[in-house]
Amino acid sequence: MLNMAGINVFRGETQVLWDVSLVVGEREKVAILGGNGAGKSTLLQSIMGILRPASGTIAFKGDSLVGKKPYQIIQLGLALVPEGRHIYKDMSVWENLEMGAYPRRGRKWMRETMVEVTSLFPFLRDRRDQSAGTLSGGEQQMLAIGRALMSRPEMLFVDELSLGLAPIVIKEIFRVLEGLSRRTTIMLVEQNVEQALKHSERAYILKSGRIDRSGPSLELANDPDIKKAYLGL
Amino acid sequence: MLPMALMNGLVMGVIYALAALGVSLVVGIMNVINFAHGEFYILAGYFSYLFADTLGLNPILSMSLAVGMVFLFGIVIEYTIIRPTYGNHMYSLILTFILSIVLQNAYLLIFGPYPKKPPGWVKGATNIFGDFCYGNQRLAALAAGTVLIVAVFLLIKKTWFGRMIRAASQDREMAELNGVNTALLNTFSFGLGCALAAAAGVVLAPVFPVTPTSGVPVALTAFVVVVLGGMGSMWGCVIGGLILGLVENLGAAFISTGYKHLFGFIILIVVLAVKPSGLFGSRET
Repeated sequence: MLNMAGINVFRGETQVLWDVSLVVGEREKVAILGGNGAGKSTLLQSIMGILRPASGTIAFKGDSLVGKKPYQIIQLGLALVPEGRHIYKDMSVWENLEMGAYPRRGRKWMRETMVEVTSLFPFLRDRRDQSAGTLSGGEQQMLAIGRALMSRPEMLFVDELSLGLAPIVIKEIFRVLEGLSRRTTIMLVEQNVEQALKHSERAYILKSGRIDRSGPSLELANDPDIKKAYLGL
Repeated sequence: MLPMALMNGLVMGVIYALAALGVSLVVGIMNVINFAHGEFYILAGYFSYLFADTLGLNPILSMSLAVGMVFLFGIVIEYTIIRPTYGNHMYSLILTFILSIVLQNAYLLIFGPYPKKPPGWVKGATNIFGDFCYGNQRLAALAAGTVLIVAVFLLIKKTWFGRMIRAASQDREMAELNGVNTALLNTFSFGLGCALAAAAGVVLAPVFPVTPTSGVPVALTAFVVVVLGGMGSMWGCVIGGLILGLVENLGAAFISTGYKHLFGFIILIVVLAVKPSGLFGSRET
């Protein structure tokens, strides 16, 4: 579904990603892991059209994404739950969801999707008129996921889901994502290696802008080197 | 004298609110301060004068045409001189300031220094509460201004366009990631901001005729209203506009017309001293 081949990405003068290639198949759940500054966010921003790779190709279902603007890429069926959630704090919960439905097919099915999304997170319906800034961190994260789902994405990108959230909330959100993965392709971008490996099928590990390791998540979770480097065991 | 001053204050307040809404819209979404706001306001006055007086069109039609023309002109200006300055607010500040001077001199060259006045929509005066007679044209301006403000509120609060504007004002990058073409939205919003100045202009021109520089005080007041009401707040624009309109006219009636603009600035200083974010401004910004 998503094909990335040999991309090199610069931020200003500094090269951040070096010859990164990866493939995500339909309905797969893939994790991109790595520490701070490994290039995870840069990778995501290159897919979303915020940064433009100096070389290499990125294609979604055969359509090249390189050189497209973010708003054009979103129309192809990708959706992002950004790091830090980025909900519209001064708008109501409902309006946040409506903004998520802005892309063409989101608007077409808005009523139906609203029912689906609020059944995943029932509190969204109860607090529909509340201003989104008054929600707790976990609730804001759920709203951000709900908003992304409103566009009926074929592929969902989730950036640093677990950042700053209580373990019980993280567990709850991963449970919802588990249910979603039956019909949506999911890419998790995470610093929290343990959680991400537990909730993905396959993973790529980025280190200093290069793909260091990749393989089935279960295998990586049991690998002694990775245990030592990322899991603190 | 008091009721008369109150009425004048309301009329001016509504006009200030309209002009301020235009400024606030453009500042909120693009972070651009349009120094030529007053010149767009005047341009609409001249257009409606041309259409109604020179071409002899119906006043309502010529006003709508004038606002439409200024909207298009705003779009052209955004596309040609504002768009290349994205990311550097200083350039757009200087460019719109230059634009304001160029336009003032163009008006002087084209229309001459004498006041031009489009025909009124209504004639006569109405006796209010058996107390005093008030010009029907001013009452009509008050009504038209109020209707326009309500229309702007509905547009911003209830439509997709309004949601896009509010979303992009709060978090531009996220709006783009929700599929909003924010560059196009900028152009359109700038045009709309100019159209709001134009609306204020055509509503007021039959009362206060336009001269090449008569937009300056209105634009200045609009900036004061935006700061007074709190950046980014629509209610701030309306309440701030009304306060300023009333204070100016009451001050002019009871103290001295010479200090008309002074009163507004005194209010501004007092409000900013007590609440630096303005009446309705949020704490962070």
